[in-house]
Amino acid sequence: MREALIAREREQKAARLQPERVSKWEERIRLINEKKIPQRLSYGYNGLRAKLGGMITQGGFGVGPEYFREDLLDGRLESQFSYQISTRAYERGIFRLRSRNLAGGRIEAEMLSMHHHYPKIQYYGPGPDSRKSGRSNFLLEDNSLDFSLGLAPARSVLLGPSTGWLWINVGPGRDRRFASADSQFPASDVPGIDRQTSFYRYGAFLRVNTLDNPDGPRAGGFYLFQFNRYNDRRFNAYGFNLLEADLRQYIPFYNQRRVIALRARTLLTDTNAGESVPFYLQPWLGGGDDLRGFRPFRFRDRNSLLFNAEYRWEVFAGLDMALFADAGKVFPRRGQLNFSRLEKSGGFGFRANVRNRTFLRIDFAFSREGFQAWFKFNDIFPSRPLGTSSTQPYQ
Amino acid sequence: MTAMRKLLLTVAAAAALHGQRFYPDDPLLVEPPPLDAGKPARRKVSDWYDLFWHLLATPGEKQPRTGPPIRAKNVNTLGDPMDGAWYVRRHYWRRMSIEELQRGAGGTAPPVFPWTVVAAKGEGITPGFTVIDATKRRFFIKLDPLTNPEMMTAAEVISARFFHALGYHVADEYIVEFDPKDLVIQDRLTFVNQHGIQRPFTRRNLTELLLKAPRLADGRYRCVASLALEGQPLGPFRWFGTRSDDPNDTVPHEHRRELRSAHVFFAWLNHDDSRAINTLDTLVTRDGRTFIRHHLLDFGSTLGSGSDKPNSPRSGAYHFSWRDSAIQVATLGLAVPDWAKARYPRYPSLGLFESKVFDPEKWLPEYPNPALLNRLPDDEFWAAKQVMHFTEGDIRAIVRTGRLSDPQAEGYLVDCLIERRDKIGRAYFRKVLPLDRFHVRDGELAFEDLAATHGLLSPAPYEIVWRAFDNQNGQPGETIGRGPRIPPAAARYLMAEISSSARPSQTVRVWLRARSVVGVEYAW
Repeated sequence: MREALIAREREQKAARLQPERVSKWEERIRLINEKKIPQRLSYGYNGLRAKLGGMITQGGFGVGPEYFREDLLDGRLESQFSYQISTRAYERGIFRLRSRNLAGGRIEAEMLSMHHHYPKIQYYGPGPDSRKSGRSNFLLEDNSLDFSLGLAPARSVLLGPSTGWLWINVGPGRDRRFASADSQFPASDVPGIDRQTSFYRYGAFLRVNTLDNPDGPRAGGFYLFQFNRYNDRRFNAYGFNLLEADLRQYIPFYNQRRVIALRARTLLTDTNAGESVPFYLQPWLGGGDDLRGFRPFRFRDRNSLLFNAEYRWEVFAGLDMALFADAGKVFPRRGQLNFSRLEKSGGFGFRANVRNRTFLRIDFAFSREGFQAWFKFNDIFPSRPLGTSSTQPYQ
Repeated sequence: MTAMRKLLLTVAAAAALHGQRFYPDDPLLVEPPPLDAGKPARRKVSDWYDLFWHLLATPGEKQPRTGPPIRAKNVNTLGDPMDGAWYVRRHYWRRMSIEELQRGAGGTAPPVFPWTVVAAKGEGITPGFTVIDATKRRFFIKLDPLTNPEMMTAAEVISARFFHALGYHVADEYIVEFDPKDLVIQDRLTFVNQHGIQRPFTRRNLTELLLKAPRLADGRYRCVASLALEGQPLGPFRWFGTRSDDPNDTVPHEHRRELRSAHVFFAWLNHDDSRAINTLDTLVTRDGRTFIRHHLLDFGSTLGSGSDKPNSPRSGAYHFSWRDSAIQVATLGLAVPDWAKARYPRYPSLGLFESKVFDPEKWLPEYPNPALLNRLPDDEFWAAKQVMHFTEGDIRAIVRTGRLSDPQAEGYLVDCLIERRDKIGRAYFRKVLPLDRFHVRDGELAFEDLAATHGLLSPAPYEIVWRAFDNQNGQPGETIGRGPRIPPAAARYLMAEISSSARPSQTVRVWLRARSVVGVEYAW
């Protein structure tokens, strides 16, 4: 009988039953996941956690404590306080309070205070014709306190004022492999290299944001216009106006598995009679977020213009590849805002995504000055807090 | 020599070695009473380990690259799984009424207010919690994502009803609207928040959890309430191997017909999340015997839903494969996969679901599933005939249980399911002779040509050759007749071999004993 056959098979198995087991590796991975070990490490105890990485390019690997809370005032206030020291002796401190969902999301308020101690910032001299071989370095220390208030008259629009203070100290670079900027360039060419000052800054911003996902956008646009006036509080010699326009557009096709990402950004400065823009707050280009075929901070001048274009395609779920082209320049006079004498670079890269967020970007870029490889933990077009200047390091 | 011919020879040789092919109690329609499973322990699997294991190694016994393929091993002599702990023959074998289809695995006893919250998730892709209702039954509550009201709940309930009608053990599920006032939090309830920290679960936590879900105009929330399965949970089953602590689990899962064939059902309903974690074994006691029952669970990522967001447009492709990745790298993305060309109308309550680009033979789940990979044309046909059995009325009735408020979205979903169904029929009725429901009528062998029944291209006419069959050694004898009429013969067993000149490589063998159909086997 068939039933007897089946019964016999079962009885044979019943004679050799064993408890169900999983491999040791599977058990370990399950426990790590189930006990949320990574989350616990990153969250820590009662908001205190370790903050790893995130330093400015070539700043080394930063480590330090962070106290982060997103549940204050019934979830309407987010706080962040962190201090990091890097393997290259860079230091960074941030204290940030940010509103969440005020007035149904129609108001965004933020207070941001930052401290940077960057002892080896690269400097190649002023202007677009600086030489690669002219590399020097300088120490940059700054402290800032800024406030911004944004009102959202429409869902994707945010506009408002910002104000704040900035204290800056520059000094001899600590990288002994290269000359210190103050010994290589005269103060007449490099304003502010010999005197420390502080600024009061104020301005306004307008942001239109239609991105589908801020952490890993594949569709939509991001358009930011900021104007800031920097008043030199000590010498009345280094005040300037800074106008920034940052336009980004993501054009998806094939169900967003192919994306063309475009960016055009310009930073334009203007001074009153007797004023000059200090070199350390001049726009710069070069590095993993703009002209990727050039070294970090390769070009500095009073104005900058930048174009980026990327074609991205999905290789498999979680990994995109990209072909990209960058073009940009720095220039001393606003009248030179045109397409002539653009520096160009191009290359290819990889973007690793988890849950639609880019957590690792690897770019290989080529330019007339050679080859650069970048390992970054952000999207190619990172955003920074409103009201702060793109000429001031945030990372 | 074709693989099929090798298979037939092997089958014949095996039959000769093993002796008789049919036993007096064949065909067995119901599994023999299970042996007592004792007290198996709960087994937990790692979702991540499972994902990477399958993506990179694909465990289980695979079909051989050469030689005869391994047919499904858990079927009776008619080729059907027996009713039991894995499967129950339902809609195809006995047409279910519209009411039965809509009820699914229960459908008559939704949870009764007030609900006491006894567990809550502090993380996870969809907000959810567990309640005990006023009748002391335990329900798992899941809500839609903010961006796509009705999407996940509709997909969950609709697919659960389809899978029930297709024969699987599934949960009893309901779409319910509740007011937060209907919820009571159990005393001293704690939960683990998104950072892995255990915290008291308060009204505020409940409010925060509900903030992630869309609220109806009247202030209530729509959810799917899933009744806890009968029995003690033992953890998921794997799509390969057997449970080492279950005496009744003797056939490797990758060789079970209902698991191999699930590929076709999953393709139809776009159930691409076919991981082990979307299954559950429970220890059930019936008639004094304790045994393990196997269930499919969590259909929130079916149809166009991805649970917390619309399904990925990658749906129908592996997360990762060496070959496809190499192609994408080498061609700079210019080789565009078919799934990327699909066009989706904007129905937030449906997510991303379509039927124009859908190709059942190219569709894949998110990762290589060993059972699905082992399917053979007869497994596919077995599933396709069930899919084709759903009429437009059946499909419309089941879709209605999703209670989609947009009639256009509901109509689109029905149209897609019908078109996908027909593509499945066209694809798999082509790979074997599409014949079934064999029986003897007026002294002739009769059967249904399913292709003709469903208006698809039929390979008719068919030729029938009769042979005597020696059941003791499993060998067919001399030809004793042709045509549908059963030849008079002294042999107790007869074998009819049905073929079609339109598809010379495909045959169906039907065995008769005392003028009753006792066995069916497809060859291709």
